[in-house]
Amino acid sequence: MTDWTLASLAADIRAGRLSPVEATRACLDRIARLDGRLRAFITLDAEGALTTARALEADARAGRWRGPLHGVPLAFKDLCHIRGLPSSCGTKTPHYFFAEAECTAVHRLVGAGAVTLGKLNMTELAMGPFGDNAHHGDVQNPWRPGHCAGGSSSGSGAAVAAGLAMGALGTDTGGSIRLPAGCCGIVGLKPTYGRVSRAGVMPLSWSMDHVGPMALTVRDVALLLGVIAGADPEDATSSPRAAADYAAALGHPIAGLRVGVPENYYFHGLDPEMEAGVRRAVAVLEGLGARVAEVRVPDPQGITDVANIIARAESAAIHSRLLRERPQDLQPAVRARLELGVRIPAHDYLQALRLRARLAREFIREVFSEVDALAAPVIPAPAPALADVKAGTTEDVTARMKQFSRLTRPWNGLGLPAVSVPCGFSGAGLPLGFQIVGRPFDEVTVLRLGHAYEQAAGWHLRRPPLDH
Amino acid sequence: MTPTDAREIDLASMAAAIERAEGDLALAEEPARFLAALEAGAPADAPGPGPGAPSEAAAS
Repeated sequence: MTDWTLASLAADIRAGRLSPVEATRACLDRIARLDGRLRAFITLDAEGALTTARALEADARAGRWRGPLHGVPLAFKDLCHIRGLPSSCGTKTPHYFFAEAECTAVHRLVGAGAVTLGKLNMTELAMGPFGDNAHHGDVQNPWRPGHCAGGSSSGSGAAVAAGLAMGALGTDTGGSIRLPAGCCGIVGLKPTYGRVSRAGVMPLSWSMDHVGPMALTVRDVALLLGVIAGADPEDATSSPRAAADYAAALGHPIAGLRVGVPENYYFHGLDPEMEAGVRRAVAVLEGLGARVAEVRVPDPQGITDVANIIARAESAAIHSRLLRERPQDLQPAVRARLELGVRIPAHDYLQALRLRARLAREFIREVFSEVDALAAPVIPAPAPALADVKAGTTEDVTARMKQFSRLTRPWNGLGLPAVSVPCGFSGAGLPLGFQIVGRPFDEVTVLRLGHAYEQAAGWHLRRPPLDH
Repeated sequence: MTPTDAREIDLASMAAAIERAEGDLALAEEPARFLAALEAGAPADAPGPGPGAPSEAAAS
């Protein structure tokens, strides 16, 4: 099964070469064998998964196909409300989050035939880029145990990379899909703000939260996006725009597309192996016919400051009860961030929201009149050791968190689609990654570029050394 | 540095960032214009409103 991708598995099931029960059992066996050390799952629902798989198998035998994901085993970050399963959101409280309706994105995936394996580990309240969790265990990087899986969708990154699930949902408020994708060597897409409904998902910051897919390949991510994208009356911020056929668009050549490489901010202070890997990836895109040029982007520090103020103020409001009543339950760095948010003046928060509108408008106008997409690093260095990121005072930890998410957070502020794609390995065997950023609602172009690169480079064919 | 010191420094830094940038904000600027900026910035060939979208429902 280590050769499977979501797309190949779905095709095998459709062709009758594999059954939904066989696919689900293969994932469950792998979880049983590997997850004791990876810590990717918080709640495994083996019985529920097999019950669903049997029903899907009966449907398949009768020629009833529920959708493009018929029989495909997936898993979901533990902040998606799924009927019958707890949502701890990475906290000490098993049932921390509850919503009246099931998570729309999960509901759509299940409606398209997916099998729910369970709920995935994450950093507490989705606050933190490393994937450590004092309550549920630190998620281990499948490529190198003892190193971060990235966060906050840490379990999603590790589960997909290790082949425990064929795809996953993550959420991204400051990089929480792309950071674990970069650390774990998989593909993760933060769609445009409003492209995917956030209904039924624990909010961290309603202005910055994005729900998106994580999988082994760009095609897999495109398939998942095609199912979850689109308007949802349950989420007032969801766009009325129809979803495109993202997977069908992947085959279009990228020759002539203009790809900008930021000359300011994004390449400053990078690990040398990471910089070399990203620049090689850009050269591959150029070799495929993309018109690559260096561009100066509007200062990302401005939108980063704005995004920080908004996210911290909103998260403190959302989780104020937990902070007030059970602060001792929170990890020190999470508690410190919430305590800071409580103190942000309303004036600063409101001005940040107003500034965000202006900065987004200016960025879109200035940058996308010159290029069709941007290519930049996604993580500043390969996944660091867990012991290193947790060492020192709370202030030390918080400072590292800011540094590690400095390349992803601007795109949450701007609301633009950004996909993280693997682009090689460090000398120590840890994944390198880069992100492709596009115009609002132009997921088609970022996925096309990502797919073209991936097929040319071939890094997606490598698997972590877990099977010996 | 104590946790309180760190928090005060962070708050001051955030306030300074707002102060630097807010001076030339237009009076008409408001948060909802962020969503409008995204919609306006979409490529011309991006799919439009889908079935059941609010604008279509209102028109029917």
